[in-house]
Amino acid sequence: MGAHEKIEPGQPSELTDTQTTLSELKFRRNESKKMGGAQAIARQHSAGRLTVRERIEKISDAGSFQEVGTLAGTGVYDPKNQLVSVTPAPYVAGIAKINGRSVAIGGEDFTVRGGTTFGSSRRKGGQGGFIEDLSHFYRIPLVNLIDGAGGSVTSLKRRGHSVFPGVHGFERSVQLMGEVPVASAVLGTAAGGPAGRAILSHFSVMIKETSQIFAAGPPVVKRSLGQTIDKNSLGGAKIAVDTGGTIHNSASTEEEAFDQIKRFLSFMPNNVWELPPVCPSNDPVNRMDEALATIVPEKRTQAYNMHRLVKMVCDLDSTFEIQPTYGKSVVTMLARLGGYPVGIIANNPMVYGGAMDVHSARKQIHFMELCDTFHIPIVFFVDVPGFMVGLKAEQEGTLREGMRAVFVAGQLQVPTLTLVIRKCYGMAGMATCNKNDIDLKLAWPSAEWGSLPVEGGVAAAYKKEIDAAPDPIAKEREIEAELKPYASPFRTAEAFAVEEIIDPRETRPLLCQFIELAQHRLKANLGQRARYGVQP
Amino acid sequence: MSKIDVASPVTGTVWKIEKQEGDTVSEGDVIMILESMKMEIPVESPKSGTLISVLVQESISIDEDQILCVVE
Repeated sequence: MGAHEKIEPGQPSELTDTQTTLSELKFRRNESKKMGGAQAIARQHSAGRLTVRERIEKISDAGSFQEVGTLAGTGVYDPKNQLVSVTPAPYVAGIAKINGRSVAIGGEDFTVRGGTTFGSSRRKGGQGGFIEDLSHFYRIPLVNLIDGAGGSVTSLKRRGHSVFPGVHGFERSVQLMGEVPVASAVLGTAAGGPAGRAILSHFSVMIKETSQIFAAGPPVVKRSLGQTIDKNSLGGAKIAVDTGGTIHNSASTEEEAFDQIKRFLSFMPNNVWELPPVCPSNDPVNRMDEALATIVPEKRTQAYNMHRLVKMVCDLDSTFEIQPTYGKSVVTMLARLGGYPVGIIANNPMVYGGAMDVHSARKQIHFMELCDTFHIPIVFFVDVPGFMVGLKAEQEGTLREGMRAVFVAGQLQVPTLTLVIRKCYGMAGMATCNKNDIDLKLAWPSAEWGSLPVEGGVAAAYKKEIDAAPDPIAKEREIEAELKPYASPFRTAEAFAVEEIIDPRETRPLLCQFIELAQHRLKANLGQRARYGVQP
Repeated sequence: MSKIDVASPVTGTVWKIEKQEGDTVSEGDVIMILESMKMEIPVESPKSGTLISVLVQESISIDEDQILCVVE
């Protein structure tokens, strides 16, 4: 495009038709780039937030953003019907590259009308928007940079009537959940449609202090319940991420949130019809860490750092934890073994002894489905004493959620490996294996398993003998000591009821071998995952 | 020098306090051991520095996320 004389809007022109229209294009593009204007942009910045164009620029590879719908907006015309200005649509969308791979990307422009929806023939973004079609029809990941509050009552006057909720529904959003990786960042105050959009994602992240998400904000809460609460206390990261698990991760800054999304996407294929990318590592596959031999304490009641253990086994610096602050008795991480992506599900002995509660069950279920959908093999690092016990656990419905985890584990199509580090008991222990599959179980010498532990089990099963004894406590200890040798994992290995017991230092080379082996099967099972039956 | 509040990962009790206020700590040093669900849970220093305050005593009950000590 050559240089063209600038057309002043509202002025008659002496230029050719082509020059006029190219000038108009240039003018309209500039209008779009102004977003909601300098004042609104300054307000956005002073609230600690970036503009949507800045966000897209920061998360994408330099210069890779190709906008679609640049000219969408509301034109303002003079009495002679000449264009004066354009207020851009409150959403910016298009395609971009993230670490060399194409994604569909878009976000609300909060500087225009607070990012709320406006009347247009077709929506650019949000649920049912063009950006979702882009992702669906080209089979590429979708990144949502969410900063909007959804529907507004102002639409009522503009339309002249009210509409059923879901006039722009979540149909495509739901469809995408089984087709391509969807990642969402909550970058402002999200309620309504944008909040729903954030949750219909495989990975979501929000910003501590500056973003919130809730079903409805403080004014509606005040009106409905008479409850006065500020938006951070109602829907900030402490509530939405740490307590509710509504959003997966939190970040201190927007840039950190973008890094998390990029990290998440690096483990994902472009779509479910492709394998996830392999990233060869300099970390040797046969690395045997001496510290693994002693990381599990001799004393069974002493906890140890499972995060550290897992990181010693996986490719160096390859781990990315999802929901680190929710359901903490289980650790869910994407990682690599020999360059291949794996999903790690590791019980955390530091939190309630690794017992599975309603939150860790829920977290594990989401992570299993994520790995299953995107062809990422799962490795369970097991140290679970069973379900969480007690009144609070029962009130929360721990048992039902735990059985749901067992149900989902049994439906997995991805290869799974079960490595028992220490405890593996009861039904929670069942949620760490897929017995519909090869059921390959490995164990460290520190492993112990069963329906329930010998201690406690003896008290229940031998109650009569114990009560009848002159020294009941001594009797209980005597029976425990008699049964203990039978509980040795080596006896189970003799019966081939556990497939192999390994030296802890052998863990990395062995897992790398099996994950490489799994690639043949992954290639043969590409495509979408069907899910059957009613989850309990 | 930044201060880090060290929060409890669990609800439980303080079993043993291994370090005192004013002690120099290295990253990973065990400052105290908690007890929860019959497990002994070490609370490690998040970084090297000085343990500038210990906010709990042995045998007291503590809640998840309660600040136990501060390292600078």
